[in-house]
Amino acid sequence: MTDAVTSLWPFLVYVVAVLLLVATMLGLSFVLGQRRANRATNMPFESGVLSVGSPQIHIAVEFYLVAIFFVIFDLETVFIFAWAVAFFELGWEGFIAVLVFIAILAVALVYELSTGALDWGVKTRAGAPRPESRQPQEEQH
Amino acid sequence: MSELGTVTFGLLLIAAAVGGAAVLTWFERRLLGIWQDRYGPDRLGPLGIGQVVADMLKLLTKDDWVPPFSDRFVFVFAPTAIVVAMLLGFAVVPFAPQLYVLDINIGLLFFLGMTSLAVYSVLLGGLASNNKYALLGGLRSAAQMVSYEVFMGLSLMGVVMLTGSFSLRAIVEAQRDLWYCVPQVLGLFTFLIAGIAESHRLPFDLPEAEHELTAGFHTEYGGMKFAMFMLGEYLGLILISCMITTLFFGGWLGPWLPPLLWFCLKTFALICFFVLLRGAIPRPRYDQLMTLGWKYMLPLTLLNLVLTGALALLLEGQRHV
Amino acid sequence: MLHAQVTGTSEAVDDLFARFGAAALARQATADDTPTLWVAPEQLLEVLAHLKPRFPMLLDLFGIDERHRQHKPTAAGDFTVVYHLLNLAHPDEIRVKVAVADGGSGVPSAAGIWPNANWYERETWDMFGIEFSGHPNLRRILLPPTWEGHPLRKEHPARATEMPPFSLDDDKQAMEQEALRFVPEQWGMARATDDAQFMFLNLGPNHPSVHGVFRIALQLDGEVIVDAVPDIGYHHRGAEKMAERQSWHSFIPYTDRIDYLAGVMNNHAYVLAVEKLAGIEVPERARVIRIMLAELFRICSHLVFYGTFAQDVGQMSPVFYMFADRERLFGIIEAITGGRMHPAWFRIGGVAQDLPRGWQRLVREFIDFLPARLDHYQAMAMDNSILKQRTVGIGSYSVAEALEWGITGPALRAAGMDFDLRRDRPYGGYEQFEFEVPVGHRGDAYDRAAVRVEEIRQSLRIVRQCLDNMPEGPYKSEHHLTTPPPKERTLQDIETLIHHFLHVSWGPVIPAGEASFPIEATKGINNYHLVSDGGTTSYRTRIRTPSFPALQQIPLISRGLMIADLIAIIASIDFVMADVDR
Repeated sequence: MTDAVTSLWPFLVYVVAVLLLVATMLGLSFVLGQRRANRATNMPFESGVLSVGSPQIHIAVEFYLVAIFFVIFDLETVFIFAWAVAFFELGWEGFIAVLVFIAILAVALVYELSTGALDWGVKTRAGAPRPESRQPQEEQH
Repeated sequence: MSELGTVTFGLLLIAAAVGGAAVLTWFERRLLGIWQDRYGPDRLGPLGIGQVVADMLKLLTKDDWVPPFSDRFVFVFAPTAIVVAMLLGFAVVPFAPQLYVLDINIGLLFFLGMTSLAVYSVLLGGLASNNKYALLGGLRSAAQMVSYEVFMGLSLMGVVMLTGSFSLRAIVEAQRDLWYCVPQVLGLFTFLIAGIAESHRLPFDLPEAEHELTAGFHTEYGGMKFAMFMLGEYLGLILISCMITTLFFGGWLGPWLPPLLWFCLKTFALICFFVLLRGAIPRPRYDQLMTLGWKYMLPLTLLNLVLTGALALLLEGQRHV
Repeated sequence: MLHAQVTGTSEAVDDLFARFGAAALARQATADDTPTLWVAPEQLLEVLAHLKPRFPMLLDLFGIDERHRQHKPTAAGDFTVVYHLLNLAHPDEIRVKVAVADGGSGVPSAAGIWPNANWYERETWDMFGIEFSGHPNLRRILLPPTWEGHPLRKEHPARATEMPPFSLDDDKQAMEQEALRFVPEQWGMARATDDAQFMFLNLGPNHPSVHGVFRIALQLDGEVIVDAVPDIGYHHRGAEKMAERQSWHSFIPYTDRIDYLAGVMNNHAYVLAVEKLAGIEVPERARVIRIMLAELFRICSHLVFYGTFAQDVGQMSPVFYMFADRERLFGIIEAITGGRMHPAWFRIGGVAQDLPRGWQRLVREFIDFLPARLDHYQAMAMDNSILKQRTVGIGSYSVAEALEWGITGPALRAAGMDFDLRRDRPYGGYEQFEFEVPVGHRGDAYDRAAVRVEEIRQSLRIVRQCLDNMPEGPYKSEHHLTTPPPKERTLQDIETLIHHFLHVSWGPVIPAGEASFPIEATKGINNYHLVSDGGTTSYRTRIRTPSFPALQQIPLISRGLMIADLIAIIASIDFVMADVDR
């Protein structure tokens, strides 16, 4: 493992170089950039008219739900990572154990889908034509 | 390679990646132009390549403006994060048997970590701007991130299983007989989709979605900070292409030509594919994108794992009998 | 031509007389023979409600300032409000007029009978200051809220030179900007509910997908549209006011710029109405040339629609191919007319010139070339599954809704109404052509696009028939009001020279009267209602455009959908802001 340790410092140089590059880009544009102060310079862009209300509002709960699902699933995938790297060593036993694990994951996913927790956006009539819109006329082309 | 050599290569790599991304902005416009019966930028220098320099000079001299209504620190930090994360991601890519900056046995995990960090940059940029379009873009990017992050890593586990290592060099070496694009075709497909989604390019450019959110998360960005988002996007494009080459198309492996050239050729072909994809496909609505992720892609990756596992163990068993 | 086909009109009028009595109604003769009846303001709503089952569409509603008119109808007062109604199932129309006194109590609002009366009444108030009692939200629509006066009143200045010089200092700019700020309460919107706050987002006027300067103020819950308020007027040029200062002839170039994608199609609507007033019969060759050019422009306009439609759902490439095709088409139009987007090439009584030598080859090459391209685009765009996902079932309306909201043209046919003025009330020579009228059935964004795509093919068919059967003969009428008159004999005797000189420098004197001429323009029914007071300029020019009512309907079809859907809906409507704002 000494090999890995000795090969680390070129990477540190690399990191420093990357940070330097980014700092240089920002610094250069700070020095070279023009300065303007017009009437609307310091206003947020909203299609060229004045904004009404603040953009900092309470957001619909769906976003929160999906974030939680993400946390759950992403954590669970970590176990699969650990299995994958030792796949051949663990053999059939490991495979069956993970199969059960994946089955549980799949059940959880199916449950979430069936509760509609992942049906995003419009629950009323997205995609479907409203009932009164259907016309008896047959399609002509 | 000596340590000094590695350091030199690292510096060259940064220059090549950033330069490549800059040239890619021009190349993409030209390629799309040819594809769409038009010229693209062809005025400046031979084939219009001078456009790259002109754009760079223009962006450098643009107003270095931080909106007074924004969260100022995060606003400046966000675009730098994507460039740093993407460039660090390049450190683990093995361009040739002895050509890399960092060879760690968890190279793949490092790459996944860096791309995840890059996504935060878009989210933070959108939220810090304090602008309604940016906010909507930020929310979209959050939703997109949580939906595609989950299976992006999983889609690569088939490759890891077959190799038995997270080391990218080991993965390339393991493809001497057969590139993983054959046994891992499902993995390739899902990773490709996750890759486009993570690099926010059409058809998955929903956080930006020019036609809907004007400029989405970077509505309030201008000058060099805007350029860094773009730089990050193009670096991401190159990095994803490098990774697909490494993971599925045998990295540097190939007959006759030098390994580095093979690697570059494969990566270049993938870049062209991504560019043309941008010109071909419409943008789904974001609930459709999420549905695609959760209802189709995630089960598909899980299926891929099960199939890969079963088949690999069966074949392995036969070999030992 | 047009009105020879009208049936049942007298029946409708007889019915009205039977119901309301001769004392309540007064007939007015018009040059276009459309039954025109005057009613008293008190009886207006009753009459309109009675007419609605027979005439389900309020085609147009507008005002006329009668105060300076010499050849005034006997029943007219200071102002007139005109209701133009249309029956599409049995092609038929009727006009109802009501007289309004200056400074009087106005007329009752018809917004309860036809929802699209809402915007028309706002426009009439904006332009004339006529009050509509009972209107839900009578405020300015085309002019900024800070405007003083009502511009279509005869005393309002028509030119900048009649007003003090315009300047926009910082204070005024701040004031105008503040006046544009959206106030949800003015539209009866809440800022929050118990569990969520709404975001109010100005989509436009400066936005890549609103096709010009158009604002939709959105009330959003997350990305879901709770309500929307379309705001128009940013592209208003006062075309109707300009018409009162231009000669009949010199107004033609202004019409090109109404629906700026449709070029001579606008000329067609205008000159047909003028010819109706003047009683000009147009020679056969001129009629076929006009139809050919109009259909070429229909293709032009639909190609732009097609490309931008695909682009707005995020497909990048089609628009470039379609603009390249349109460029070829412009090449032909340039060869024939000398102009491209705005040729202003139709004339009162004919067209500006005969077709150039070799036009057949150009047109034939194009109509042979385009169908294969259309097949290609079909596979690329219309058959694309993501595009279908984005547009099928999005922004749908029924035929009944479309009629109530004054939706015409391809957007109406997409809902399943099989109606096309070119076929059902042929004008200008369309009765001689064979073509099909494509009809959709869902009335959604996808069908609106599909109908237009098929219309391109049908227009190609019409152009091919023009090409194969172009009649010989003059391209201009011999009628004395034809402008400019035929020039051949002007150098032979002084009378024809003076005649030519007067027509070109002052313009023709069109006999007093009223006429309108609805045509099937690229986006729906375009109708010029012209009032002549026996002079060289129009007394009142009313331009009814198809885009105007389409935008009014946006909130109805976008509530509950997402921003991305709204973009798809906007893309599928095919409007031009110049056509909306005039």
